[in-house]
Amino acid sequence: VAPAQQPAPTPGEKLPVVEHVLPNGMTFLLLRREGAPTVSFVTHYRAGGVDEWTGISGTAHLFEHMLFKGSTSVGTKDLAAERALFPVIDAVADSVTEEFRRGALTDSGRLQRLRDRLKQLEDSARQFVVSNELDRILTENGAVGLNASTSSDVTNYFFSLPANRAQLWFVLESDRLKHPVMREFYSEREVVMEERRLRVETQPLGLLYEEFLQAAFRAHPYGRPVVGIASEIQAVSRNNALEYFRRYYGPNNAVVAIVGDIQVDTMKAWATRYFGDIPAGAEHKPVVTQEPPQRGERRIQVEFDANPSVLIGHHVPGAQHPDAPALAVLSQLMTGGRTSRLFQRLVIRDRVAAAINASQQPGQLYPRLMVFNGVPIAPNTTADIEKAVYEELDRIQREPPTEAELQKVRNQVEAAGIQRLTSNLGLAFQLSSSGALWHDWKQTFRDQAAQGRVTAADVQRVAKLYFTPSNRTVGTLVRPPKPQPTPTGTN
Amino acid sequence: MRALLVLTAAAAAAAPLAAQQDTRAQVQAMQYAPLRFQPPSPKRLSVAGVPVFLLADRALPTLSIQIRSKRGVAHLPDSLWGVGWQADNLLRTGGTTRLAPDSVDRLIEFYALQVNIFTDNDESGASVGGLARYRDQMLDLLFDMLKNPRNDSSRVRITAAQQEETWRRRNDQPGNVLGRAWAQVLRGDHPLGRSIVMPEEIAGFTPARFRWVQERIFCPQNLVIGVSGDYDERALLAKLESLFRGWTACAPGLREIPPVAFPQGPKLVYVEKDVNQTSIRMGHAGSIKVANTPDYFAAQVADFILGGSGFTSRMLSRVRSDSGFAYSAFTQWGSETDREDLFFAQAQIRAEKTVAGLKLMQEVIASMAKDPPTAQDVKLAQDNEINSFVFRFESASQIVGQQLGYALDGLPANWFDLYLRGIQAVTPAQVRDVTAKYLHADKLVTVIVGKSSGFDKPLAEIGEVTVLPVDGIKR
Repeated sequence: VAPAQQPAPTPGEKLPVVEHVLPNGMTFLLLRREGAPTVSFVTHYRAGGVDEWTGISGTAHLFEHMLFKGSTSVGTKDLAAERALFPVIDAVADSVTEEFRRGALTDSGRLQRLRDRLKQLEDSARQFVVSNELDRILTENGAVGLNASTSSDVTNYFFSLPANRAQLWFVLESDRLKHPVMREFYSEREVVMEERRLRVETQPLGLLYEEFLQAAFRAHPYGRPVVGIASEIQAVSRNNALEYFRRYYGPNNAVVAIVGDIQVDTMKAWATRYFGDIPAGAEHKPVVTQEPPQRGERRIQVEFDANPSVLIGHHVPGAQHPDAPALAVLSQLMTGGRTSRLFQRLVIRDRVAAAINASQQPGQLYPRLMVFNGVPIAPNTTADIEKAVYEELDRIQREPPTEAELQKVRNQVEAAGIQRLTSNLGLAFQLSSSGALWHDWKQTFRDQAAQGRVTAADVQRVAKLYFTPSNRTVGTLVRPPKPQPTPTGTN
Repeated sequence: MRALLVLTAAAAAAAPLAAQQDTRAQVQAMQYAPLRFQPPSPKRLSVAGVPVFLLADRALPTLSIQIRSKRGVAHLPDSLWGVGWQADNLLRTGGTTRLAPDSVDRLIEFYALQVNIFTDNDESGASVGGLARYRDQMLDLLFDMLKNPRNDSSRVRITAAQQEETWRRRNDQPGNVLGRAWAQVLRGDHPLGRSIVMPEEIAGFTPARFRWVQERIFCPQNLVIGVSGDYDERALLAKLESLFRGWTACAPGLREIPPVAFPQGPKLVYVEKDVNQTSIRMGHAGSIKVANTPDYFAAQVADFILGGSGFTSRMLSRVRSDSGFAYSAFTQWGSETDREDLFFAQAQIRAEKTVAGLKLMQEVIASMAKDPPTAQDVKLAQDNEINSFVFRFESASQIVGQQLGYALDGLPANWFDLYLRGIQAVTPAQVRDVTAKYLHADKLVTVIVGKSSGFDKPLAEIGEVTVLPVDGIKR
């Protein structure tokens, strides 16, 4: 048997990235680029929403917030005084949780008194806090884009600095990783509740998406909202957050990409100097739970005072499955741009929808969903969108994509691949993410290239395999029924 | 343009790792080598009388073309505002006299071009980006779309149906309700306050009316052009020359933007929406223009300190970090070169802390007078501007885009130098004076969207409440 021919490396794979792995397992991906003297830092930790244990949903995200609160030296005026108050505050917080978890038997007066006490205690601890000092140091030094995000699979932290200040990243990042302090924890928990209200509870599509995922995933934690279930966010403790940190934030679970105007040898030396003494942590293990095959269509409705929308999801494999490139191409053929099949039909020809999109959600590591999201134009309905989506998924099984359709996707893959190389931050994101998810910074480039080799037959095969009614979950947003007038004069 | 060579602490090698545990002391002791950087300056030329900015960057085989027009939707007669607001959409989707709409879409997607066309209130623009080997296809297509729009009637009907749906969905999200209510209360029916097309305007969508608008916004006398990336200058200029040939001069019919009469506060407007988080915006006339004046630079620094700089600002520190009332809280002290804009503060606060949060926001604005910014506060703003200046020059297209903006706004090519110098010269006394002169915590107009039955206290505790029904928001 002749050996399989290896595809030629893509331009991305040929980038002169230097991979530097410390003895504790922390990985640095270093790329020097010409251009303005800036440098971008992106760190991905193999720590996501799926790694939470029962009852603490939202902790991965809450911990991400906490990592901006400083360390044993940054963010404090008197660490000992601060720490002396933590057990007192935690005891009251535990009492709040105890009262809260009594459910229908909760004494609302007592609960409020306890919450007021908790706030009072955190306010008194604040006298020892230098508020947002980490942010202040970085702002002063011209950092831009300071932020972080938590997904189901991973958590990332990022910002860019003027190139002459690169060392500051090493000092501050190693400090917060070595000596994090969960100060102002319970008020930050309130902030996260507000983030949940802002993104989910007051947003019709946010609510629909959350309930849709919960319906589609009954076993796998992809069904759990990353921001957390409201009641569980309100019960997460400082110790829960620290426990999550201890389990998943070992240096061997971190992949840092540093891209920009750097001296690679200096970065290597600083990596060793600032991060080398952190002991390795436990190895990250994939989630054991697998979503059992779906045996029948699932339908949910979410009531909200808003106009209708629909989400249609079919279970598909994770991003490293051999079918993943064909599924990505199928998604492009269906909704990628104005000439795609569903856009042409629903938006242009029939004027049934204002928008139709497809994406694979909510993560990449584990089997996930291909989600079609449609917005009908009244008087057309979500049922009209569903019908068109199913018919087009059926049609592609009978009528293969043309060579022109496939060539268009190949051109888009090539252009997007080059476009991704244009910014330090964008490139750092891709390298760090690929390194964390796949233990190989080149993998994402290979995945993109693989899409260019997908054939019409590949697309037809995956369409037939995955887009069956029994593998489907449908979520629709509907208005709540108007209250019926109360009959009068009768019992 | 030329920017400063910065300007940081004295050169020194990386500081020794003296006190590993005391990170703060370590950070304070760090010294940095000066950042030696001379941002590249675009070449300024004129093609067919249109200013053209060129900046070559051959690091990647890509090309970006940006066209900006100094005319926008607010320059149109009132009756054409809705048409103007969607004129960009029709330029992109409506085809050209030479190419059917589908053919344009196919070309864009086949060559994987990024085409963006916008008509905004003050100005408009169009851009295309893609692989440099498609230079002629990019330029031919973009100019054809702008010069010869077809406004195919089938695409006009699609746009009309989509705008009707946007209108139908206008109250679905609290953020949209807040933005529209705010615009109505602060700007009335002034074109600068409009952001949604009304049904009677949609009924007036016709290819001819779109054409009337497009040829007055995108015509040579209104334009500036920027090209960046991998190009051969001689061939590019010859191509641009040929493309401008036969482009009709701008026709009359536009107007200058009329002045806005902002209302006087205090005023409290409540819009009922059944949600568990209250959206709040409060503000008044900003009274500042973009100009090389001490007041402008002091106002920029004041806004940074008050609410424009995220976690280091007073607004986010107090409303989020200290109180846990909100996820997002910020201020914006708007200004333009030719007119004044608005100052406002905004937050989304949980329903049961609405009145407490609203009072806290007022208190934070008032703190600028009661507890004026210190020299340290001002220095933080200045250090941030100076040390982050390099991020304004990270890519050739970004540098060219800046120059286009300065040219349209009538600012000098070295505006960023002037801006940095202006910011560096600001003193705490100037910040105190500018806030005392222009920010009035007792005269705020406040718009609140939420459900009052879930509030901590009646809104009447704050002042007289005007109820604006959600269906009473005209636009």
